[in-house]
Amino acid sequence: MKHLPKHLQPRWRYLAVGLEAWPDADVSRSGFQRAVWYAAGNLLGDPRSADADLRLLRFEFADGAGEAIVRARRGEVGPARAALACVSEVDGQPIGVHVRGVSGTIRACEERYLGRRAGVRAERRVVFENDRRRGYVRDDRVDVAGPKGFAGATELDLDSEST
Amino acid sequence: MYEAVHAYPDGSATAARFAATAARTGYDGVVIRAREATPDYAAVREASDVDVVDAVEVVAPDPERASGAVGGLRPDHTLVCVRGGTDRLNRFAVENERVDVLTRPMAGEGDVNHVLANRAADNGVRIEFDLGPVLRTSGGERVRALRNLRKLRELVADADAPFVVSATPASHLELRAPRELLALGDVVGFDPETVRTGLREWGELAERNRHRGSESFVEPGVERGRHGR
Repeated sequence: MKHLPKHLQPRWRYLAVGLEAWPDADVSRSGFQRAVWYAAGNLLGDPRSADADLRLLRFEFADGAGEAIVRARRGEVGPARAALACVSEVDGQPIGVHVRGVSGTIRACEERYLGRRAGVRAERRVVFENDRRRGYVRDDRVDVAGPKGFAGATELDLDSEST
Repeated sequence: MYEAVHAYPDGSATAARFAATAARTGYDGVVIRAREATPDYAAVREASDVDVVDAVEVVAPDPERASGAVGGLRPDHTLVCVRGGTDRLNRFAVENERVDVLTRPMAGEGDVNHVLANRAADNGVRIEFDLGPVLRTSGGERVRALRNLRKLRELVADADAPFVVSATPASHLELRAPRELLALGDVVGFDPETVRTGLREWGELAERNRHRGSESFVEPGVERGRHGR
């Protein structure tokens, strides 16, 4: 079909989204897309989620952190933000979602908000609560493996190795 | 704006991790509503860009035990919250001036009516709007949570009772940025200004109580210091 004249084309806003999860999480593009759609459908209902017209355009996730671009119709950024806030897990894995910013073009969105994923993750033994554990370190953030799952910590919470 | 969080070992992220995440998402501070958690507040404040408030959340099965805990903990902490969830606990909290915040009043079998809302207004006990279930549950559970929030909102507005807003995160992954909470509030019927006020209220409460705890404070309106200020 012939494409629409410019003044009838929908206007979009692009939301740059930062993602965070536990180190063992495996979050797929399709899983996240589904979670966003369900969150929008459940929170906003069919009519308003159709208005918001959320679509996942970019997605990258590795080693418990990632980023994405979600498209929303102009004027529906508020509901889109609310729907994204309600994405609390993907395929049963808890996920932290944070809208870093909103742009009018994909390129501006990428240049301004993406590509600043936290540094490379390292794995090392750490001492947490007087106990030697496996730690997944990125910058000064540390996810510590434990008997009851992971605990989020920072370098400040670790005890020195010498004890 | 402040968020009140469950830090390790109550939740699964430490106070320092919450503070780091909150700083990144645009908060001015975090309130550590501790049950078991005993972070080193001075060190955490030193290391992070946001304020970290020393608070406790009293979780007791009945008002008798809650009362003892409130009395015992009040002198040592900036904020004292009491978790509601039964009618008796809700009533106890709003009638007790030593309590700063009644949390999760509508959880479980808890309910609030105009009498309790008025008592809360008289005693200056903040009632918490808990957005957590709206963020993290779905279906019938979320419908009930939304229905309760609406009821609470109408009662609080009618009584002009003070309130706070929180998403009750138990890990840094559950923390949501203030702008996201404002947007969510807008969708579920809160005035954006209400949510903002509720998030700020934590900080204002902390400041008031710190001032009250300071040496120069004698009682409201009476302070030690130099004349002419």
